[in-house]
Amino acid sequence: MTSPAISITAVGKVFNPGRKGEVTALTGIDLDVAQGELVSLIGPSGCGKSTLLRLVGDLETPSAGSVEVNGKPARQARLDHDYGMAFQQAGLFDWRTVAANVELPLELLGWDSGRRRERSRELLELVHLDDFAGHRPWELSGGMQQRVAIARALAMRPGILLMDEPFGALDEMTREHMQSELVRIQAETGATVVFVTHSIPEAVFLSDRVVVMSPRPGRIAEVIDVDLGERGEPTRADARFFAAVTSVRSALRGSGASAAPGLEVGVE
Amino acid sequence: MTAPVVTRTHAPDAVDAAAPWGSGARSLVGSVWPAIVVAVVGLVAWELIVTVFQIQKFLVPKPSAVAIAFVENFSEIMDGLRKTGYVAVTGLVAGVVIAVVMALLCTRFRPLATALTPLAAALAATPIVALAPVFFKWFGQVEPTAKQAVVAVVVLFPVFVSTSKGLLQVQPVHLELMRTYAAGGWRVLREVRVPNALPYFFTSLKVAASLSVIAAIVAEYFGGEQGTLGGIITQSAGLSRYDRAWAAVIAAALLGMALYALVLLLEHLVLRNTTPPATAR
Repeated sequence: MTSPAISITAVGKVFNPGRKGEVTALTGIDLDVAQGELVSLIGPSGCGKSTLLRLVGDLETPSAGSVEVNGKPARQARLDHDYGMAFQQAGLFDWRTVAANVELPLELLGWDSGRRRERSRELLELVHLDDFAGHRPWELSGGMQQRVAIARALAMRPGILLMDEPFGALDEMTREHMQSELVRIQAETGATVVFVTHSIPEAVFLSDRVVVMSPRPGRIAEVIDVDLGERGEPTRADARFFAAVTSVRSALRGSGASAAPGLEVGVE
Repeated sequence: MTAPVVTRTHAPDAVDAAAPWGSGARSLVGSVWPAIVVAVVGLVAWELIVTVFQIQKFLVPKPSAVAIAFVENFSEIMDGLRKTGYVAVTGLVAGVVIAVVMALLCTRFRPLATALTPLAAALAATPIVALAPVFFKWFGQVEPTAKQAVVAVVVLFPVFVSTSKGLLQVQPVHLELMRTYAAGGWRVLREVRVPNALPYFFTSLKVAASLSVIAAIVAEYFGGEQGTLGGIITQSAGLSRYDRAWAAVIAAALLGMALYALVLLLEHLVLRNTTPPATAR
């Protein structure tokens, strides 16, 4: 086993420390993510799962402990473009074509237009949107937009993909399709993926490990290994799939988390 | 989002490029004729009322008299239109350039915004009536500088406020993405803030275009060169040539509309491919 892609040690995060509205979002988080592993973070609202992902991406800084990405501090990893990120909103730029959206990170790196075009064609093929390169984002459906966002996150060939509920706004059918797409893309690119979600079946279907978190303060309640072998549509009807769903569900209940995640208000 | 779902097979660009003009032209014809009918009915009613009630022509001249005055003084009015148009357009451009530069600097260097925003608000609250004579004192009566300055000050505030808003109200997800790319402040300005601000900018530019003509004419009431539209209006009114004054007012209105139309065209050319059709106007 090589060194982990992501190494989180004794991490805590307090928002508004010492002020009114002080919130302890995370406390005592230890988690390693291996190269090429797909790990989901799941838990009710307020458990800090998004905050944890944002700490890895250096969109927030930890109040305690350390976050290392590829053996470097998170900030350095961000500056080195070690990861690509996708959010719940696709966040495409309306003033750019689909291809130009995918090429934006490469433009910032100073790639010339020929290489950029080649790379965006390759990526749009990967997400099966090669016919839409010249379209504008608003002409695409929500699922297609999210696929463009994933292609864009992969543009710089990062070893790591950070995904913050990227399928949260999609309907169930599109969502399952996107999950299969992500499994395929992950297999093709060998990327390490950290995936934040509210959905138990989604976490189980995608992941090698499901990290169950509990709120107030946000901490890791349990880490569940999932072994479903080769994933595909039959997986969703597999007995092992249901067994894993059941153990994640009981871990969520046992952790004191609400049986109805999403009803609680708090730091996300 | 109400973007029409067009079944696209090939050449979607052709479809996209043709649609706005096509539907635009159709809706233009469709939306213009009621206005024409109202205008014609209004003018006929005006003519009849003035004739039937024998209203003094220095109170309200007949539309026909105004039309005749327009034709009789055509070359003089055209000359005034040229002079006033020059002041309005140059003043507008100067004001817009200053406003945009201010907005960009304020966005890039936030402390500047705290210093400049109240200043711009104070300028906007200053009545141009109070400024015009002062500007004539500063810049003299002969050169058009004083009038251009009045126009620039009047258009500056709406453009500055709108453009600043567009530069600042960007989607948080866009800013976070740029952060994950480790993009610097100027890159964020160029790739995210400026494109986001363009629709806001054009909205304010439409207001500014109309304001520029009003400001130029009001400034002309206070002095400067003879033979401008504002000059013709004050001079004609002084000589009780109200039909000629009205003819000059109509020329001023046409100038304002022409500038507005020019901005609309510019907006269409710049934004047609960068904004969803629903929010483009």
